[in-house]
Amino acid sequence: MISFIARRLAIGALMVLALSVLVFILLRLAPGDPIDAYVNPASPLSPDAMQALRDRLGLDAPLPVQYFGWLRAAVTGDLGFSIQRVGVPVLPLVMERIGPTLLLMAAGLAIAIVVGISAGIISAVRRNSPTDIGFSVLAFVGISSPAFLTALLGLYFFSVQLRWAPSGGMLTPGAGFSLGDLLAHLVLPACLLSIGHAALIMRYMRASLLEVLNQDYVRTARAKGVREFFVIVKHAVRNALLPVITLIGSTIGIAVGGAIFIESVFNWPGMGLLLVNAVETRDYPVIMGATLVIGATVIVVNLLTDITYAAVDPRIQVA
Amino acid sequence: MTLKTMTRSLALAALLGATALTLPAMAQDPSTITGGFDVGPGGFQGNFNPLAATSGLTWLSVYYEPLVIYNAELTQLEGALASEWSMSEDQREITFTLVEETWHDGEAFTSADVKFTLELAKNAAAGSVFAARLGSITSVEAPDDRTVVVKLSNPDTGLLSTLAQVMILPEHALKDIAPEELATSTWWATTPIGTGPYKFTQYVTDQYVELAADEDYRNGRPLTDRLINRYFDNSAAAVAALRAGEIDFTYVEPDDAATLADNADYRVIEGASFVVNYVGFNHMFGLWDDVRVRKAFMHAIDRQAIIESLYGGAAEAANCGYVADQLVPADIDQYEYDPEKARALLAEAGWSEINGDKPITWLTYYNTPLAANVMAATQAMLSQVGINVVPRVVDTPTYNGIVYKEGTPDWNEFPLVYAGLQNGPNPAGINVGLNESQLPPNGANIMRVQIRMLSAAFDAALGETDPVAAEARWQDVCRVMNAELPWATMWVANRYGVASNDLVDFVWTPAPAGGPFASHPEKWSKSE
Repeated sequence: MISFIARRLAIGALMVLALSVLVFILLRLAPGDPIDAYVNPASPLSPDAMQALRDRLGLDAPLPVQYFGWLRAAVTGDLGFSIQRVGVPVLPLVMERIGPTLLLMAAGLAIAIVVGISAGIISAVRRNSPTDIGFSVLAFVGISSPAFLTALLGLYFFSVQLRWAPSGGMLTPGAGFSLGDLLAHLVLPACLLSIGHAALIMRYMRASLLEVLNQDYVRTARAKGVREFFVIVKHAVRNALLPVITLIGSTIGIAVGGAIFIESVFNWPGMGLLLVNAVETRDYPVIMGATLVIGATVIVVNLLTDITYAAVDPRIQVA
Repeated sequence: MTLKTMTRSLALAALLGATALTLPAMAQDPSTITGGFDVGPGGFQGNFNPLAATSGLTWLSVYYEPLVIYNAELTQLEGALASEWSMSEDQREITFTLVEETWHDGEAFTSADVKFTLELAKNAAAGSVFAARLGSITSVEAPDDRTVVVKLSNPDTGLLSTLAQVMILPEHALKDIAPEELATSTWWATTPIGTGPYKFTQYVTDQYVELAADEDYRNGRPLTDRLINRYFDNSAAAVAALRAGEIDFTYVEPDDAATLADNADYRVIEGASFVVNYVGFNHMFGLWDDVRVRKAFMHAIDRQAIIESLYGGAAEAANCGYVADQLVPADIDQYEYDPEKARALLAEAGWSEINGDKPITWLTYYNTPLAANVMAATQAMLSQVGINVVPRVVDTPTYNGIVYKEGTPDWNEFPLVYAGLQNGPNPAGINVGLNESQLPPNGANIMRVQIRMLSAAFDAALGETDPVAAEARWQDVCRVMNAELPWATMWVANRYGVASNDLVDFVWTPAPAGGPFASHPEKWSKSE
């Protein structure tokens, strides 16, 4: 197991390095740079003044010099300074955004898992009943609704019209920290983020459980007189969960994408919002730093999924 | 417990929890005014350095102050940190008398701070966007604590307008930071001090900036304890927060203004944007050399129809770079919509040989639905007379990357642009985009306009020292623009802010770059 983890981590490190080269090249191929983003075309600056700003930021050095300079610093944990947020170092900026993103994703996934698995079980147990059909229709709607659409509709109904939840941010500005305030801001984006995942988990859980319920050992358990509740919970659900765990692991990468939309719409101060703003303003150091951290996170999460998978099913060997 | 009961209990618990948790965030504190002050074209989120600010001055002027400031109507300058000022007869010396004020840390504000700031603002190494515009200042003298004398190499009618945007900075706090280090200093976002009615409390990265009332502000202690400037990714998110009752003010797009106008909870503030929109001809591209082709654009586009149907009437057609009455002569060509005339002009100019119906890229950085509609309508109108333009919408950095490209840009990338340029309240504002002396890299004449008569008209207006005569000189600029058409000028549109009706004595003006203007935040309050 240890050599498996070490090998996967080494491959992961190489992938992150390759990612950094790719992102660096793509960024430099994209038109416009941080200074171009800084200037309002309606109140323009002279190219001379823009060049002076560029010189000071080292944006005119040859690309290999810029990249290896960045890499040399990055391996020591120095990801440079944000260009648009004057004087703000990238590493703490990115690190302080991981927490909110993880919180949002964890809350969203937790809701998705609870709702998705419960609905999947109910649907499978009551196959072809009106409840099953109702859940299935909702699941198809959930799967086919893009994150930005559900985010905007959710914002409009629950925040603007009903005023049940704040329209954005993580805490009420200037109010200081309180858990209630944090949760109040979290509940709506987390629920909206969970919709697509809950729908997917529900479909998988339903299909997987239906397959398991037809197995001989389930029939045997029933024949032995085990109560239906225990047949499902103790015998069937445990086995049906395996493909669902794989699915949950593989959707975490997708969840980052969904979180970017949700964070943008709700101004949630996470990695997604940071990255979107950085791309809009061509803030190279922040884009590089955030990509690096997201890439590393996805690799580690995939590794953890494999380990969890092995732990749940001892037949699976990792070597 | 059955599965059914478990599911119902969970759902009920989640619903109750969510409802209970949302309550604290809905409370609004009457001693705090929260707004989206940096949303929209006049804003600049995350910018705290007034020397580097190309916009966002609405908010910066709440805690910093310039020497002089435009009134809220943007019609004339009034004193801010200078109680009075006078110009010498030869127009080469301005003497300012300063007010009694203290910095937010309690130190006295003196003429040394003004001298320090103006010298810093003239220094391009400090990352100052004012360096070129303050070029006429030869020296700044501080004969005593309350007097500043600014000496000029030549009369400069636009200087006071520029000085209205230069926020005075504390020498004692910044003198130890090298000018080259100032642009990247964390001071601006962590411990800035100014002389304005509010003092900086904290900045929560990308979320909001919080200010507290300055107890000993010279015009009286502000009525509201705290001002909070919340950051939004776009104006739609800000409008959502406004409608949800979380903020008291924000900039809005025209269609939101129309929706909110009938709502008794809000007050819609409307005013000129002072930005002239134009179809810019790239004078290096070769297609637009014949003025008849340029005139054909003006006659082919039904500007009044666009203004009525797309802007809801909230724009004014421009026949030169200006729309203000005192700057526009009555006898200039009105360029009425006349597609027949446009076709005739194109035929005279031999358009079918010059280009014919070959597609011409029309580049813009405007990415709003309104701009998309305007461009689609214009494209259709131009195609009626045989000009085939193809809109290309890019983001601002891409646009700037294309038009500002070092050396010789690829003219094929921007033979035509749809853009805007500030045209007021200082009429000299458009000089930067049209005078030959402003060709890159010296200035921002990115469409490479090289019309000798126009440059001469600008130079004459800029050098005119008599205010009454200056108006006539600016009219000359308008006249030449109208005849020569360096751009096809379209219109100056209105801009909108929406304030909650709870706000009392709240002043906001849709000023270019966010002003600054005399908004007197110390008088803002909120009815209980």
